[in-house]
Amino acid sequence: MAERSLNDQLDDLVTTMLAGRRPDLSNEDPLVVQLSEVVEELRNLPSADFYERLKEELTRSIEMSSPVQKLEPVVRRFSTYICVSNASAAIDFYVDAFGAKELMRLAEPSGKIGHAELQIGESILKISDEYPEYGALSPQSLGGSPVKLHLQVDNADDFARRAVAAGAIISRPIEDQFYGDRAGQLRDPFGYTWIVASHIRDVSIAEMQEQFDSFSKPKQAPARREGYHSVTPYITVQKASELVEFVKQAFGATETFRTTGSAGGLHSEVRIGESMVMIGGGPGMTERPTAIHLYVPDVDDAFQRAVDAGATALFEPADQPYGERSGALQDPMGNRWYIATTTVPLNQIDKDLRTVTIYFHPPKAQDLIDFLTNAFGAEEIMRSDSGDGAIYHAKVRIGDSVVEMGDARYEGQALPTAIYLYVDDVDAAYQQALKAGGTSVLPPTDQPYGDRTGWVQDPFDNVWYIATTIA
Amino acid sequence: MNQVTEADERLLIEAAQQDPSRFAELYALHFHRIYAYISRRVRNRDETQDLTAHVFQQALANLEKFKWRGAPFSAWLYRIAANAIADYTRKLPREANSEPVAVSIADTESNFDESERRASVYRAIESLPDDQKRVIVMRFADEKSIREIAVALGRSEGAVKQLQFRAMENLRGSFSEKANG
Repeated sequence: MAERSLNDQLDDLVTTMLAGRRPDLSNEDPLVVQLSEVVEELRNLPSADFYERLKEELTRSIEMSSPVQKLEPVVRRFSTYICVSNASAAIDFYVDAFGAKELMRLAEPSGKIGHAELQIGESILKISDEYPEYGALSPQSLGGSPVKLHLQVDNADDFARRAVAAGAIISRPIEDQFYGDRAGQLRDPFGYTWIVASHIRDVSIAEMQEQFDSFSKPKQAPARREGYHSVTPYITVQKASELVEFVKQAFGATETFRTTGSAGGLHSEVRIGESMVMIGGGPGMTERPTAIHLYVPDVDDAFQRAVDAGATALFEPADQPYGERSGALQDPMGNRWYIATTTVPLNQIDKDLRTVTIYFHPPKAQDLIDFLTNAFGAEEIMRSDSGDGAIYHAKVRIGDSVVEMGDARYEGQALPTAIYLYVDDVDAAYQQALKAGGTSVLPPTDQPYGDRTGWVQDPFDNVWYIATTIA
Repeated sequence: MNQVTEADERLLIEAAQQDPSRFAELYALHFHRIYAYISRRVRNRDETQDLTAHVFQQALANLEKFKWRGAPFSAWLYRIAANAIADYTRKLPREANSEPVAVSIADTESNFDESERRASVYRAIESLPDDQKRVIVMRFADEKSIREIAVALGRSEGAVKQLQFRAMENLRGSFSEKANG
């Protein structure tokens, strides 16, 4: 055995140990015995490529678990897709009003647009006509849109002016806002509301929250008599008590109060639906008959009762294209009643629309809108016009009420009226009304019935009894 | 490569915690000792390789949880390895388990020293002359016979045995240095 070379001895040892057997070292050369310890350490030496293979495997794990590879939603761009009735006209409008750029359109031979893209500022607006079969319905079909679109612009005032010239309506005036923007809202002719804002100062979130909190604090009770809204028509006729009887019979009015007025005539207050109407006057007194848009539960029934009570039919009840069934009458005292029934609750048409709405027929409705805006902070909420300045119909919000108007179309259609208008601060409103072009009839005065009132006649001969309840 | 200061190692760990692709450096630093530790405790190469892979995958997945508390990073890896071996052993079928696998969770310093010694032999293979290294890898990792190696390398069997012997002597040298140092 001893003749075997050390090389052979060692290799035999290796072979034995690799086979998992314990070697017999008793006859081996001491050097080989020493090397047996090395052999022991080398058993199960990793495969030549194992180190690299595991390294690659770990690298793959790292790549798999890196954020991009995870199944997290990755959004590249967000854009708005609106549906309108008459997309082609809407595109023209957005180009005119907002300086939009048309990028593409897919149109049917009829011109109906299946898909179009506009660039507005840095964003893309996608737009299509109505396709009810695909659930694409416009605000007109749906009765409004719950989504408002927001435009960040350099100058909200200039921007709104251009948009209004193109046909938009200012639904909330452009004003400095607590959050540091100058902003307001426009309604486009297709039923969408656009918030138009330009940044004027930096406001911290904390400061915004503070301001916001102050809005939600319980507000002071409105400075007005209970049951009254901002706007109440004050109809003055010589036969005041006959008028009270008429509205009772024809429209189911309830008289809530009757006294002798400050000028010696009758002063009566009646409720129709949730609105109040003041009726006053007496023999020899100046008459101010009024046009009233009156919502009734059943227009045909009310029409008949009004005729029975002595009214003259102006037009018979008929379904109107704007979704109302309406007729018109003139009562024996000269007031015109546009009576209507809608299938939609009034507060869904506008939150401030009420049973009784005054209808003005000034020579130029635009002038009255301007006066109301300047004098009482009114805001226009809709208009239908010819495009060259003539207004067929407009709604204007004053306080918590709405008044309506349209240009007078014939001699005598204008019925300058009187309006009892509750405001928070009669003195300030009175001054503002004078500045806006009104004429003082009576400076603010404390009245024995608990209101402080100031009377102003507007340039269109309407008299505004501006009032704040003080006791 | 196997010797870094504590400060360097902390930097490496922090780098890998922020950018997992830097884990490769920790892997390079600790591969041999973890493989060596496991190979002393399980029976064959496949199991050793599987468990080693498992340990590094675990370490990578949990790296962000590692906090420096004075113990070296290798201690953390050893603990993962010990747990992995214990889990693995529990799962072995009873029959296969009849030959007990030497596992001790309560590892002693000497266990680690033995692992370090084996790891230093692995590292020493890298410094062997090419032909010696090739013979060692073929003989111990690939478990080829002297004849097979001779054919593969185009050398005589005697020459291969000679290379094997020289390689062992060299490895023994480095290993004594470690063992004694």
